[in-house]
This record gives sequence, structure tokens and C-alpha cells, in this order.
Amino acid sequence: MEHIILFAGPMGAGKTTAIRSLSETPVISTEAANTDLATADKATTTVAMDYGEIGVTDEEKVRLYGIPGQRRFDFMWRILRDRAEGMVLLVHNDHPDPVNAMREYLIEFADLCQRGGVAIGITRMDVRPGPILTDYTDVLERERPDLMVPVLPVDPRDRGNMEMLLMSLIANIEMRGSYGRVFA
Amino acid sequence: MSPDSGAAVGTRVTVDAPPELAGWAGAATAIHAIQQMPMPVTLRLHVDGHGVITIDLAFNAYEWSRSLSDFSLTPDSVRVETEPGNPDTPSIDLPGRPLDPLLYAIGWRAFGDEPAPWLVDGHRYRLRRWPSLSELAIGLDEVRMIAMLGNAFATADELAAAAQIPPSDARRLVNALSVAGILRRTATAPALDAEAGSRGGAPASTGLFARLRKKWGR
Repeated sequence: MEHIILFAGPMGAGKTTAIRSLSETPVISTEAANTDLATADKATTTVAMDYGEIGVTDEEKVRLYGIPGQRRFDFMWRILRDRAEGMVLLVHNDHPDPVNAMREYLIEFADLCQRGGVAIGITRMDVRPGPILTDYTDVLERERPDLMVPVLPVDPRDRGNMEMLLMSLIANIEMRGSYGRVFA
Repeated sequence: MSPDSGAAVGTRVTVDAPPELAGWAGAATAIHAIQQMPMPVTLRLHVDGHGVITIDLAFNAYEWSRSLSDFSLTPDSVRVETEPGNPDTPSIDLPGRPLDPLLYAIGWRAFGDEPAPWLVDGHRYRLRRWPSLSELAIGLDEVRMIAMLGNAFATADELAAAAQIPPSDARRLVNALSVAGILRRTATAPALDAEAGSRGGAPASTGLFARLRKKWGR
């Protein structure tokens, strides 16, 4: 049995680091030169996917796929999102427009959202403290009051943070599946 | 505290709680009452032996010289002071500390195993948004209950039955989320189906959440 969880978000949000925090196997990553230094001041960025695993039992795995943050690779997003049970969306708070970046990804992955399959981690809140968390949750509450999306501040280097975000995602998926149509 | 209290703008008003609402219960009751007001308010909680907590509700932040791990379980007294806030000028140095963990911790401790006095018997509750509780060491039972309340209306007792946990824990959770100001309430939602979790393919004891929890020993 396998479960596919995507890690998505803009360049520099910490997707690769987050998968490395969770994975029990060496993470397979490929990188190439960043052609968009105006957006992310990194020498390299993930072009192909990151891949890691969590072994739940001998027969069951959670497969962690990090998908490239650059929009020109959105064809890969379409391939993976149909197979995924859930998505961890990481947005870095020092992104030029992090709240709007969040909104764009939620639109792109609307089907997963509808199934309760998205949890959002806001990274680098220690680097730039604003926007504050309620700036993100107010947008969600206003634009998608029918959806419950965990939004948590996280450090992708911290395994405990990432486990909590992953477990919040899985709990929300399970509860959405059980109760999602049963509310007034 | 109200606009008609007769107090001049900027005047601090001290709330003296009746004995049955001393300590965190009084603070929680005052916080809940002020959250219903249509104007910004700054609260100062003078916690006996633990300094002053300044809460700016308009900016969703607080200041306190202590860590939440220093949170007193049973302070002898918590004196509540309020003053009108300013939606454009914070009363603390921003960004401050996020409010959810503080209000959740107060609400969890305020009323023991009993429901908060403003919660109406028979009403059902659901989250407006997911709480941000990273500063607190909450357990996965709480995460699961939070996920339930994120997707369905329930009473505390229904929540306990569905989550297979003691009713007292569910009541504390509902109290905590209510003090954090993130619950919706309804008198008309149908009863929560405690068996729906199993039919959804993710029963409390055997879904992926449970299996990962067992693997990680949490």
C-alpha cells in the first residue's frame, strides 16, 4: 500500500529540506542552475523531483514527492496531483507576496483542497515576521469558508514541526472523508 | 468595559471576578466577553507570581516575559485590566507572540473538566479555522479532535465518542478553542455520527493516522 504526498510551494520555501527532515531513506534530489535569481536568491533550485519515503509498515509506505517551484514545470504538477492523496504547501514568509502565492497554489490544486488534502506550512517567519498567520487564515476563511486547511508556522529543518504538519494533513484528510459532507 | 460604562476613553477598567470565577476562569470569561465586543480592546492579565500578560486582540498578539512552559496551573489570582485599543496603533511591540497558544492554554485550564459557562447545552461547535499551536506540546489525540471539529459540528460529548477519548478531554478542548475565539456555534446541526469515522475508511484505531502514530510512538 502506498500513499503519495506532494510537497509544493515557491522556490526557497524549504521543500527539499522538509522532505529530508521526514524521509527515512536518503532523499533523491536533482538540482540545476537557478535561471530566476530575481525570485529566489539561490545558486541552485530543484528542477526534477525530490523523493523520500516513510515506511509505515513492511507493506505500507508514504512516498514524499517535492515538485519544482518554478511555474514552467507545472506540467509535472498535473502529472502528480491526480495520484496524490495530499499536499504539503510550504510558503516562505519572506516571499515577495506570500499570501497571494498561497492563493495561487490553492487554485492550482483545487481538487486536492476539496478533498481536505492540503496543509500549509509557513516557513521563515523568524526571518520576516509579517505577514502574520491570521493574514493567511483570514484569506482562507473569506474565500473558502467551506474548507478547513491547517496553517502552521514551521521550520522545515525541524522533524517535529514537519511530523506535526504531516499528521495534521492526514487527520484532516481522514476527517474530511468521514464527515466532510455532514455539516450544516 | 462596555462603550456605555461611563469610563472616559483611555481609562483602564479593572474587572473583579466573583469568587467562583477566580484565577484562569475569570480571565477566560473576561476574554470571551471582550471578544464579543465590536471595538478593539487591550487586556492586561496580572497573574499572581507570574507578571503581566498584555493582550492586543486587534493585532492578534501578546507580550509576556515568561515562556508558556512557565504557565501556572493554578494561580491564586488573575486580575484582569482592560482599556480601549486602537485598530491602527498596537499596544505592544509587534510582532509580539501569536495569541492562539496563550488563549488555548488559558481555556484548557480555566474550567477543569466542566464546560465553559457560556457554552450552551445541546449546541454544536465547529472550527472557523485551524488553530496554530506550535508553541504548545499538544498530543495527537488533540490533533485528531481538531480535525473532526474542522469538518463537522459536534458537542463535546459527541466529539469524545467519535474520537474514543474521555469526555473531560473533549470538554477541555472545546473550552480551549472557544476561548481562542475560533469556534462557530449552531443549534440546528444534526447529531454527529460517531460511526462515520469507521465508514469513511479511517477508524480511530486503524487508519493511516493511527498507524503512523503507532510507528512514531506518539
